[in-house]
Amino acid sequence: MIDYLYTLIKELCTKRDVLWQLVRQQLILRYRRTTLGYLWTLINPLLMMSVTAVVFATLFKVELKDYAVFLFAGMIPWNCFNATIGQSAVSFINNEGLIKKIYLPKIFFPLSVALAVLIDSMLSFFVLFAIILCIGGQLSWSLLFIPFAYVLLFFFSFGVALVASVATVFFRDLQYVIVIAMQAWFFLTPIMYKKNALTGSIAWLVQFNPVSTFIELFRNPLCFALLPSPSVIASAAALAIISLAFGLLVLARQEEKIVFRL
Amino acid sequence: MSNITIKDLSIKFRVYHDRSPSFKSYFASLFSKDPTLSSYTDFWAIKNLSLNIKAGDRIGIIGHNGAGKSTLLKTLCKIYSPSEGHIHVVGRLAPLLEIGAGFHPEFTGRENIYLNGSILGYSKKQLRAIEAEVIAFAEIEEFIDTPVKYYSTGMYMRLAFSLATAMHPDILILDELFAGGDIAFITKAKTRMMEMVNKANIMMMVSHDHDLIRLLCNRVIWLDHGRIVCDGETNTIVQRYLDHETPQ
Repeated sequence: MIDYLYTLIKELCTKRDVLWQLVRQQLILRYRRTTLGYLWTLINPLLMMSVTAVVFATLFKVELKDYAVFLFAGMIPWNCFNATIGQSAVSFINNEGLIKKIYLPKIFFPLSVALAVLIDSMLSFFVLFAIILCIGGQLSWSLLFIPFAYVLLFFFSFGVALVASVATVFFRDLQYVIVIAMQAWFFLTPIMYKKNALTGSIAWLVQFNPVSTFIELFRNPLCFALLPSPSVIASAAALAIISLAFGLLVLARQEEKIVFRL
Repeated sequence: MSNITIKDLSIKFRVYHDRSPSFKSYFASLFSKDPTLSSYTDFWAIKNLSLNIKAGDRIGIIGHNGAGKSTLLKTLCKIYSPSEGHIHVVGRLAPLLEIGAGFHPEFTGRENIYLNGSILGYSKKQLRAIEAEVIAFAEIEEFIDTPVKYYSTGMYMRLAFSLATAMHPDILILDELFAGGDIAFITKAKTRMMEMVNKANIMMMVSHDHDLIRLLCNRVIWLDHGRIVCDGETNTIVQRYLDHETPQ
């Protein structure tokens, strides 16, 4: 395993130009030849969240401003997580032509997707944050924690994404299963509601949902101008490390078989 | 000095009867020893192949379809990893298995030089240095900022060829390369290929064109069903292969 990590890091360093080109390809291609171009990356989640905010603020009978800030703070990490898994899952399948014709480290395919999603997410964060400030969010030192929260979220998401991408090569049905599973996971994560709001027989699902931890990492600084509690940070860090280690382990054991199964 | 050592190399392919096994059949085959339930059969594309290649070797690989020629080259290029045995390569290896692999149709010619160039292993600095020469050799100056999906097949091939052959690697791996373009370009391309072959430390090619092999190679390996039938001086081996293939 140590040998594997050493080779991996060496390849990441020597071939970082390729990785960057693949990330660039992801970022540029999506909206090429649309009039608003890259702006769609920002407008899309914004419109979606605004609609959700209006509907659910009315439904829950809460102040729209407060609810909008609360919802935005939860949606940013969720959208990042969701897009990383969903897009990475098909990264090997979509690059079949390349994988069969030329050698590139296998990790580059899910990694380039995940990095592109991360960049998208950070850009939409800036836009949303400007809006949060306008409608009455608070500016505080605790916001300096956000970059760190992104690092933890990225490692956690990428670990899950690695497993999803490798598994999808072997079981093609998974690309559809993942979409449905992520939808269910969204509703079981306290994004639209408070963590203790869901009671009854499925409350434990919310309680043990690893993504809840990452939502809190973002929500505390953004909504309440507070640093997340040390125990939340510690469990997020632990989850990130476990997820990444497991993802790398799965990739290390299966990557040589991928080319034969595409 | 470059060299390649291949020791007891075997490559196993699984031929899946059903392209992608379902969860159901996967679990069924886990718990059952019934061979009819297994969704694949194993097939050895290369079996116990050992080979030493030293600097100066110009190797042509011959054999009929399915002999394992392309699989061998792809394994040298790390696309397949050995099922058994190992390969040791010293020197910078340039795989020209399929030129234009990694071109993105939505990207312009210039963007593809950078995208595909980095995939081929060129650094950004090297690419900036060769960009003008690649465009000039491909003769597509006026279309270089057009997405390659609007290129004609000839233009596409010319750009891919110019880029792939822009640098001189230590070890050159070729899989039936000559194609595309008009007569003038093919002549130009052949000259450039010869130059590349001459400058390479080691060259390995697969071709069904025996005249080309006679012209370029000083050593020929005849493969059949993943094994070496014979290995030696070009004319002798090509003649033996031809005699074997076309019985009087």
